[in-house]
Amino acid sequence: MHSDTPHILREFDQAFASLRNEVIAMAGQARLNLERAMQGLLQRDLERCKAAIADDDEVDEAELRIDRIGMETLVRFHPVASDLRLVITTMKCAANLERVSDHATNIAKRARKMLSRSECAEVAFLEPLYALADQQLRDAMSAYTDRNAELGASLQLRDKDLDKMHKRLIATFTARLEEGGERAEDYLHLVFVARSLERIGDLAKNIGEDAVYLDQARDIRHDKQNRPPVSDEVRAE
Amino acid sequence: MPLLTEAPPRKRPETPPMTQDAPKTPAADSTAPAGIPAIQVKGVDFSYGDKQVLKNVTLDVPQNQVVAFIGPSGCGKTTLLRCFNRMNDLVPGARVTKGSIIIEGANIADKSIDPVQLRRHVGMVFQKYNPFPRSIYENVAYGPRTLGERKKAALDEIVEKSLRRAALWDEVKDRLDDIATGLSGGQQQRLCIARTIAVDPEIILMDEPCSALDPIATAHVEDLIFSLKDHYTIVIVTHNMQQATRVSDRTAFFYLGEVVEYDTTRKIFENPVQKRTLDYISGRFG
Repeated sequence: MHSDTPHILREFDQAFASLRNEVIAMAGQARLNLERAMQGLLQRDLERCKAAIADDDEVDEAELRIDRIGMETLVRFHPVASDLRLVITTMKCAANLERVSDHATNIAKRARKMLSRSECAEVAFLEPLYALADQQLRDAMSAYTDRNAELGASLQLRDKDLDKMHKRLIATFTARLEEGGERAEDYLHLVFVARSLERIGDLAKNIGEDAVYLDQARDIRHDKQNRPPVSDEVRAE
Repeated sequence: MPLLTEAPPRKRPETPPMTQDAPKTPAADSTAPAGIPAIQVKGVDFSYGDKQVLKNVTLDVPQNQVVAFIGPSGCGKTTLLRCFNRMNDLVPGARVTKGSIIIEGANIADKSIDPVQLRRHVGMVFQKYNPFPRSIYENVAYGPRTLGERKKAALDEIVEKSLRRAALWDEVKDRLDDIATGLSGGQQQRLCIARTIAVDPEIILMDEPCSALDPIATAHVEDLIFSLKDHYTIVIVTHNMQQATRVSDRTAFFYLGEVVEYDTTRKIFENPVQKRTLDYISGRFG
């Protein structure tokens, strides 16, 4: 449960609004970096790759700002219950988003190297994996900002689908890599890009788990028995 | 032990002297089950004259746990605390109008219960420390002496044991004859706790015991409260939320004479069920 009643201290509400706005903006920037990195790879666009790499600094700075606001909020206001959960989970969410942006940077750097070589058709194999990872990241942030525990918990199961797709792709790329030839270096890059997308799915799952804790004060990490039920409607999404 | 009859002093197992470095577990993390109730409050209404200040209050205070009463001023938490040792008897027109308060099998709201005998079982520590203007020794020995203990050796033993349990012995053992009011505020409050302990109660009531103390003295008293729960059941009224989270196992939130929510302290401060509780503890009360 959380309360929409205004706090007696206006500065408290301002600090919490600031925290919320910062993390939403950070998530937007992290997703934009990921999108630029993947578009740079898929569409062989060097400028987008460069932008994704350059803008990682903005995400790093956002993480520092969120941690600073979070610490100040803890020290000044001693929040409890849903307020305390919000501060803790926001700081954890920021750490996860920073890692998402790091993976976007890694993808952009791999893409930049691949752009110096001739076009590799197998790059397109990554599109479904990217679409799934991005969808999970978007839903994780929705679960977090809407305090939607059901949607947050659903990411645990959906991450398994992403893991399966990742495994299939790795098998494909590894098989071609073993065949050798001049494309070997490209396949190696694609293995690492797939690995980054799979890790982004994991990070989205982490944010989803934190959304459950934020909404219901239930820690579902590492707890297969205690997962909230997920409706068919949410799973279908 | 029935409260209606005089009985020989209770025998408790001797415990080693309390030490500062005794292993401890944070009280706020306690998830222990409620346990056997030391106090059972059943559907209590209480009024000062025509003004009803407690409405159908029901809760159990488990043995050897610390229970915190929180809530805004005038919500009835101190009134209920003072019901537990009939301190409200001193207020004209104050009375329990419905329900019962069971301590050791007896309804202590019943007028046939001797309040003096009751207060031997249910001691109280007040907001403002109030030692007698006598020596440190006399302050602790006063209660047992009033109850008939005359032997110097026995009184010496009680004084030392009580001061040790109150974590004050090491600080005053060489000046027991000094006047108590010469001690620091925190030491005076711990002396009052030692004075309460000296008559060997089962239950200790504390009405904002740290509100007049600085943070260091408060920390000493809170550390003491945590140690004392091995031997006593403690009910504490506090306006300090952090204090409630630090020292208590269970917390009751009162509002307008009713218990809105009563649960483990962790549950109350991590994820309360009632919105009024959440609004109060998080500072959103209008």
